[in-house]
Amino acid sequence: MKTSRGRLRASSLVVTAVALALVAAACGSSSSKSKGSSATTGASSSLPSATLNGSGSTFQQPYDQAAIQAFTQQHPGVTINYAGGGSGKGQTDLQGKLVDFAGTDALPKPADLPKYTGGALLYFPFVAAPITVSYNVSGLDKLQLSADTIAKIFERQIKTWNDPAIKADNPGVSLPSTSITVVHRSDSSGTTNNFTTYLKKAAPTVWTLGADKTVNWPSDTQAGNGNPGVANAVKATNGAIGYIDYSDAKASGLKFASVKNAAGKFVAPSLDATSAALQTATINPDLSYDPINAPGDASYAITSPTWIMVSKNQTDHAKGTVLKAFLTFVLSSDGQNLAATADFAKLPSNMLSKAQAQLNQIVVP
Amino acid sequence: MSAGTLFVAESRGRKVRNALATAFMVLSFLVMLVPLVLIVGYVVQRGAGVISWSFLTDDLPIIDRLPGGGIGPAIVGTLIIVGAATAMAVPLGLLGGIYLNEYGGKRRTASVVRFLADVMTGVPSVVMGLFIFTIWTLRYQYSAFGGALALACLMLPIIIRTSEEVLRLVSHDQREASYALGGRKATTIRRVVLPAAAPGILSGALLAIARAAGETAPLLFTILYVTKTNTSLLHGPNVALPLLIFKNAQSPFTAAADRAWGAALTLIVIVFVFTLLARIVAAGFDRRRRA
Amino acid sequence: MSTDLRPRPQAPAPHKLSETPNPSGAHSDRAFRYLALGGGLVVFVVLALIAWSTTKEAWPAFTSEGISFVTSTTWDPAHGKFGALALIYGTFVTSAIALVFAVPVSFGIALFVTEVAPGWVRRPVVYVVDLLATIPSVVFGLWGIAVLGRAVPGFYENVASFFAPIPVVGTLLSGDPISGASFMTAGLILALMIIPIVTSIAREVFATVPSEQKEAAYGLGATRWEMIRGAMFPYARSGLVAGTMIGLGRALGETIAVALVVGANARVTPKLFSNGNTMAAIIANEFGEATGTHRAALIGLGVLLFVITIVIGIFARWIVSRSAHDVSTGAVR
Repeated sequence: MKTSRGRLRASSLVVTAVALALVAAACGSSSSKSKGSSATTGASSSLPSATLNGSGSTFQQPYDQAAIQAFTQQHPGVTINYAGGGSGKGQTDLQGKLVDFAGTDALPKPADLPKYTGGALLYFPFVAAPITVSYNVSGLDKLQLSADTIAKIFERQIKTWNDPAIKADNPGVSLPSTSITVVHRSDSSGTTNNFTTYLKKAAPTVWTLGADKTVNWPSDTQAGNGNPGVANAVKATNGAIGYIDYSDAKASGLKFASVKNAAGKFVAPSLDATSAALQTATINPDLSYDPINAPGDASYAITSPTWIMVSKNQTDHAKGTVLKAFLTFVLSSDGQNLAATADFAKLPSNMLSKAQAQLNQIVVP
Repeated sequence: MSAGTLFVAESRGRKVRNALATAFMVLSFLVMLVPLVLIVGYVVQRGAGVISWSFLTDDLPIIDRLPGGGIGPAIVGTLIIVGAATAMAVPLGLLGGIYLNEYGGKRRTASVVRFLADVMTGVPSVVMGLFIFTIWTLRYQYSAFGGALALACLMLPIIIRTSEEVLRLVSHDQREASYALGGRKATTIRRVVLPAAAPGILSGALLAIARAAGETAPLLFTILYVTKTNTSLLHGPNVALPLLIFKNAQSPFTAAADRAWGAALTLIVIVFVFTLLARIVAAGFDRRRRA
Repeated sequence: MSTDLRPRPQAPAPHKLSETPNPSGAHSDRAFRYLALGGGLVVFVVLALIAWSTTKEAWPAFTSEGISFVTSTTWDPAHGKFGALALIYGTFVTSAIALVFAVPVSFGIALFVTEVAPGWVRRPVVYVVDLLATIPSVVFGLWGIAVLGRAVPGFYENVASFFAPIPVVGTLLSGDPISGASFMTAGLILALMIIPIVTSIAREVFATVPSEQKEAAYGLGATRWEMIRGAMFPYARSGLVAGTMIGLGRALGETIAVALVVGANARVTPKLFSNGNTMAAIIANEFGEATGTHRAALIGLGVLLFVITIVIGIFARWIVSRSAHDVSTGAVR
């Protein structure tokens, strides 16, 4: 009969036996999902089976998911995991060769390039999207803001909606005296980086907080975690204003301010206005470009770029082949037409052809 | 304890203090109960609507803002990762607690270990994740085992300290009796002390497991993300329920948010059912022992 | 848990009565001892590794900031300034608030279970506390912003105006401005998170107070409360302290929940209804995008937290040893 021993066994068994069983099963099995190359499957696919892992910018994630879905449907033996996690994570992961591709809203600084153990990098632009200045003021359906006004609002120099500066931007519109609640990001973000870069560029005499992924906001402001967090906060407070990516702002039902661009026109965030900004941007040889505060009457001022980074010299035949095919798909007309479904603007033809040409630089063993 | 000081002043004041104390104890329970009900109610309200068998077993959708798919891979991932973490942390933690109470006592090494275990309970989960990233992920890629290591590091000091405290409570008389019968120290521990302390050790272990199952930050640096179930502990990235919740719970896209809250409800249910079962089984053996 | 605790001699165990110790038993005894020691040393090894690897990665930040890393309250990555003082402050404050609320409540629940509640209520109450423990930390944070953070500003306003005239307390219970996401909200959420573990240990300890001690107190005419204070607390002291230390550790290190509800604004202010930040929260929030010195500074916060936990640990032990009169427990000492 089990007495004291039984009790000891029972307690420890309950806790660890289940755990051990799971562990044994897990160790014993091997995942077929992470094997490198194997025979081709499926009649319609001519690609080797492979699993690609990527991480990085959450800004581009909605498009990445759409592209992965479409691509893997055509090639059943392929699995692609994109984890998001932020541009910084993508860069760190690619440095350590933990992923096959990284999404990033800002390109690495030259000083960081030696950290990439996979060698030289290639940057592929593929989509872009606007950053909205979203607001929630009851009764206010249309709002126009110039860069200086936006800067003053976010620095808390302007505290109520009927401030003269806002009135000046919106002649003839009756503005309530509600106090302004500014919402920013609590987490570091490429969106903050691009938004503050815009303010630094377009309102240099007014904006003093600098341009970076993390900024020292005034203390009488609110913070939200991630674009959705900011969207929720703006939605919940009458009188709130915040900078949010286009996709989440649209889905939250928020209204966007039309921002005065470099040509002096108030332009609302839209995919067309983003394309207009991209058209005018200068493309460097490494395919970096800057669409922020772009010239042109139809350009939206706060357009955010984004890239997929890969190592130029691939080390695995199957993975390299699939990666190249995936990027080719993204830059094909099918892939580019997916952009609008995810609330992104596709590349203008000059940028697209340069990106497509760069595909040939990927070296697959 | 000085007996003389108990008989002071009028008994009315003592009665009042006693009543207040009792009221405080009952109130404490209610004070904990209210937010608990609110939080669980909130999770149920937001997550119950999506729960179905296909939700619990289907693969994650590639496009998470669209409806469809399920959380199957995340459930499997959580079970594997937490299971492996438990398998590492509980035996080691128990041994550590045994060492501290049975062998270490007031000795220098033991004091240091005890102190360090306390320090270790204060290491933020994000720092633990970072640490495992540096020593494991960078070397061996993203995998479920990295996550398990990080969680085990979180659990270990808690199990050591709770085990030690509970072992300390086993009365001296029991041990003396065992020695008197010629039992050696290890035997005494195994046959007398541990069984007596088992319920308390189990409590500590269950709480550590519950905490580990709900941690997000350590997983961010160790397991990456997948949409299809990966049953391998060592090969390839994985996914877990807390990650899903963190990624999508605030999303303005209803499908993504619903899935995240369904995952939250599932996680709570899984861990709670496990805890209940463990306690019931242990209590069953306890009853049989006393019979 | 009041049972007959004397071990019953088991019938078929003849060699236990022998005078000479079993020689092979000596080996297994020694082996078991070293095994147990190994378990304890794992802590040492892991901590040493963590300390070493984090300090190594944080070093660039220490050298570039110097002492201002701990004395400056300006945390401004955009301008390359990394002063951790405001974050240290936030960590302390939120943990202190958590303890202030969680410890009395946890002890209260534990006493409720062991002394007040009728027998059939005890098990369900334990399960209810278990349920609180199963709630993931991210859910605490999400509920914190969506529900608690939206509901409390009005409550904070009322409390602030009520306590305004009172000198110290009035300043503490105010905001600059009053914010749903604040030190106080984070502290309250932390309190909820640490209640289960503190309650559990307290319960175990209270349940093991020998009935003779309790009977003695009652026999002298003590009320239940006086018995608890006089007979149970002294006996349970070490366990209660251990439970509190584990709760404190958890509060110091809690990351995601605090990151969501503390307000993400690094500053030192006595007004607890204002938004603030903590070390763990800022690491979690900023690490994903940090590079270079910023990243090193974040890891440096981790190192700082180590140091602080060590200092608090030493301080707590000093306090405990100062007021200790060792009531004999059952421990092998």
